[in-house]
Order: sequence, then structure tokens, then C-alpha cells
Amino acid sequence: MEFKPPKESYTGNVREITFGKGENALKIGGENILPFHFFDEGVQPNPPRFALEVLDMVPEDWPDFLKEPYADVISDPVKWAKKCETYGADAICLTLLSTDPAEKDTPPDEAVSLVKRMIGEIKRPLIIYGSGDEKKDAEVLPRIAEACKGENLLLGPVQKENYEVVGRAILENGHVAIAQSPLDINLLKELNIKLCKFLPPERVVIDPLSSALGYGIEYSFSIMERVKQIGVITKDSMTMMPIIANLGAECWKTKQAKENENQGLLWEGVTAISLLLAGANLLVLRHPETLKLVKETLGGKKVWN
Amino acid sequence: MVIIGENIHVIAKDISQAIRERNAKVIQDLAIKQKEAGADYLDLNVGPVKKDTEETMKWLVECVQEVVDLPLSIDTMNPVAMEAGLKYCKKRPLLNSASGKTDSKQNMLPLAKKFNCDVVISVMTDKGMPPDLDSKVESILDTVAYANDLGIPNEDIWIDPIILPVSTAGEGQRIAVENLEFIKILQDVVPGVKSTVGLSNVSNGVPHHLRPLLNRTYLVMLERSGLYSAIADPLDSELMALMRGEMENIKQLIYKVMDKEEIDMSSLTQKEIEYVKTAKVLMGETLYSDAWLEI
Repeated sequence: MEFKPPKESYTGNVREITFGKGENALKIGGENILPFHFFDEGVQPNPPRFALEVLDMVPEDWPDFLKEPYADVISDPVKWAKKCETYGADAICLTLLSTDPAEKDTPPDEAVSLVKRMIGEIKRPLIIYGSGDEKKDAEVLPRIAEACKGENLLLGPVQKENYEVVGRAILENGHVAIAQSPLDINLLKELNIKLCKFLPPERVVIDPLSSALGYGIEYSFSIMERVKQIGVITKDSMTMMPIIANLGAECWKTKQAKENENQGLLWEGVTAISLLLAGANLLVLRHPETLKLVKETLGGKKVWN
Repeated sequence: MVIIGENIHVIAKDISQAIRERNAKVIQDLAIKQKEAGADYLDLNVGPVKKDTEETMKWLVECVQEVVDLPLSIDTMNPVAMEAGLKYCKKRPLLNSASGKTDSKQNMLPLAKKFNCDVVISVMTDKGMPPDLDSKVESILDTVAYANDLGIPNEDIWIDPIILPVSTAGEGQRIAVENLEFIKILQDVVPGVKSTVGLSNVSNGVPHHLRPLLNRTYLVMLERSGLYSAIADPLDSELMALMRGEMENIKQLIYKVMDKEEIDMSSLTQKEIEYVKTAKVLMGETLYSDAWLEI
């Protein structure tokens, strides 16, 4: 008797989301299968995408081997971003760390002019992360959204404390929101419900927080996994959005990553691969060698397009 | 459905204060109100009662019995307080609760025999909460056998599967569905036993104004699965109306969700829609979020 491998089919479809403009715009999501289930009925039309992270200030706690690839550009975020393009990043993720009141409390104006300068100089689409301070982000992010109207930035984090003001600025100025919730599937869904009362779900990307290997990656893994299961299997509209895993910062905070270069690359690499398997669609990394490592790991099998 | 009124519990500040100050009026008012609302038992959730145990329990039990003639459910984890409470009950009380924990088997279950009263036995064991249906069944078989050996018949045993908040990270919804199944198979597993649940725990952590909707919907589902009694809020008049069978249309809608039938939402009233959405959450069909009614 002939063996027929079981083939699942699903009802849900992760929304395909585009950010950036023109020929360099990036599509993420769009799958109607569980992550990497190419053997099931359906497609994962877009490969996972990778951004390299740029800070708006010279990093203070990075180990030397993480700074080394950016040594000549590290004091200029725009040149730094251009360097990331040469390393093969699909997107640039600018983190406005200096705007954090606990850092330099840089005023919104400076952040706006930096983002505008960067848009003029780089080709790759841009992800903008505020500092995560929900009050300051509520001042900075809407200003950026207005100043860069129509640029289709991926902008966040939009949190439950500031979703109305940041979300509306994203809606009115043609950007995509990063909806961030603290490692909790129920809160994640609630934020999406509230946000989508005025923002089309086609303009929301989920950030469930990405913990590093050894520092709670299990939580991130199972939440991403559940987002995909609930979206793809049970067709829950409020979880059928692509996932961004902003993991570089979390990995390079760890003692293990800072200890030596190889360990650091593997720490970031293993975290990245794990979260890809859980269902992340867009990853934010820090070290260009990790980017290479992860792409090589994924490569070989031409399953996309 | 036998309703055990939950409102006299020490977690409420005014109650713990009233007990401390021996303010009978606060307690008695609440006892009368619950009786008038249709409660069949009154739960006296006193906590551990480490201080003046005997005297406190005597005062409280007599205070309640002065104004209502309902049987009482003595709700404490402290065997000394339990014994003191049971001793003063005029009507056959309910010991709430024993469990599969060694400690509880040794100290609580003998009290049920001694006072010839009904006893709640939860699925909890020395290892904690059994993780799935099979291990819950296993726990109950073990504890009921132990109780039988002490001379407590199945008819006096009220099994509690332990209800957990539906709002906790996905697990809560799985357990809500599992407990329906548990209640459904209970009579086959241990013929003759009764059952009870601490209903309000299902909505713990949920925004306050939304809690009754979850409690009511879940009780309808549990009732249909064969539940005998619930520790619940008799002052929730809609809950009591549902249990009296006065809202048949709502019940039928909840049953349809349980049976996974298609429901035409466009023909429903706002209230009916809310019940349907809530039932879907409790059946694990839609992922819980605090905003479950808003989509």
C-alpha cells in the first residue's frame, strides 16, 4: 500500500504587510500555513526578512567585537545605516535610544531631523523604534509620523498606554504600526482589538517582545507559536498579523554574548533561528555576521517564490 | 442547581472587619439578603482563623444561624477552625474543603465522618493541580477511595474540579473546557457523587463589570454538563434567573455554541450577542482578551 503523508490545510491567512516605498518596499507575512510547514496545503509567500539595528547615539555598553564592524561609522547613524545596507540588511531599524528620558532625553525635533536625513540617504525601508518610554514615545513618534508622511515607515512601539495618540498619527500619515505587548497573548490580542477600531489590521505588525536565549526565550517562543496557531488554524482575525522579533538588543545585553565574539554570534544566531521557527516574519539583529550566519542556515533550500 | 452563597468571605474588607469587631449586623444582613435571593447554602469563608479560633467560629456560625435557617458551608483550610465551625452547625453542614493532599486526607476527611456531614473534595494533590483530565480523574478516584474507607459514602462527597481564571495566558481557556468534560464524565467515574465549583474564579482578573457575564455563561455550561452545585453570587439576579430557567433563549444560544452550531448573529439582540461571544471564549473557540465583547 502506498504511503501518503498527512497534509494539513488551514483556514486562516496571515495578512501580507508592505512597508517602505517603491522598488525597495518590503513585503512580510502572507502565509496560510504554520511556519515552515511547506509540506502542508498552502504557501509562505515571503521569506523571513532581516533588519540590522542602528542606534541614534554611540552605544555605551556594546562589546568591542560588536562595535568593530561599524567602527568607522558608529558616531554617525546615517553612515552606520548605509554600512548596514552593504552588509545585506533587508531593512534598517533605527532605535531612538537617546530620546529616552533615562538616557539623553533628546528632544523630538532632533529625532525628526535624523529620521528625515536617513530617509534621504538610504535605499532600504526603515523601521523606527522609539525608546519604549510610553510618554516620550507619545511625543516623539507622532512627530516623526507627520514629518515623514507617506513614507510608509514601520513605526513603534505602540503600547496600550499610548496606542491612541501614536496609532492615530500612524493612520493619518500612512505608516505601519508595531503593536507591542509584554509577553502575554491575551494582552496582545486586546491591544490589537483596540488599535484596529481605527487602524486597518493590514497596517499592524505584532511585537510580542523577544527574550534572548537563556533569558526567557521560551515565553517569546510559545507566544509567537500561539499567535500563528490561533491565526492560521482558528482564523482569529486579531492575531493574523506578521510578527517582528526585535531580538538583537536583548541578546547583546546578556553576559554570555558579551563574553566573547563567537559565543555572542551564536547567542544572537540561535535566538534568531528559534524565533523564526516560532513564526517571526521580520527579525532585528545587531551583528552583520549573525545576519550572514542565519541567512546561510536558512539558505540552500529554495522554497520561496 | 444548588447555590452556595459566596458573599460572606474574609477577602472582603468589611467582612473581615465585622468578624474582628463582632459586628453581627453586617454579617446577618448579608446572610438574609443571600437567602432572600435564593441561596440554598451559605458559605462562610473565614480564611485560616489563627487567632481565637474556637470563639470566632462559634460566634460567626451562631450569628448567621440566628437569622437564617439555611445549611452552612464551612470554608477554611485550618482543620481546627473547621472542627469548631462544624460543631455549632444546626443543619447538616458542608465541609469545604478537603483534597487529595496527604495533610487534608489525614486532618479534614475524618472530620466529615465525625460530624456526619457532606464534604467537598477537590482534585488537588501533594503535587499541586493535576495538569490534565486523566490526572484529575486519577486524583479523585484515589481520594474518594480513601474517604470510602473512612466510611464516607459517595453520596456525601461533592467533587470540585477547581476552576481557574480564563484570562490566564491561554491555559485558563483550556482548563475551562477540560472542566466541562470532567463534570460530564464524573458520574461514570464515581457513581453517586455530587459536584461543586468555586464559580467566580473563572472571571478572576477580568475587568470588574464584565465578570458576571463570564460567571453566568459558564454556570449554564456547567449545569448542562451535569454540575450539582456552585459556590456563587446569589445577589447576581441574572445568574439566579438563568438557574431558575427564566431565560431559555439565552440558554439555548449557549448550548448552540457548545454544540458548535452556526449562529446567525445578525438576528440577535445585543445581550444575546454578548452571551454568544462569551460562550465562544469559554469553549476556547476565540482567544481570550479583556476586549472580547468589542469584536
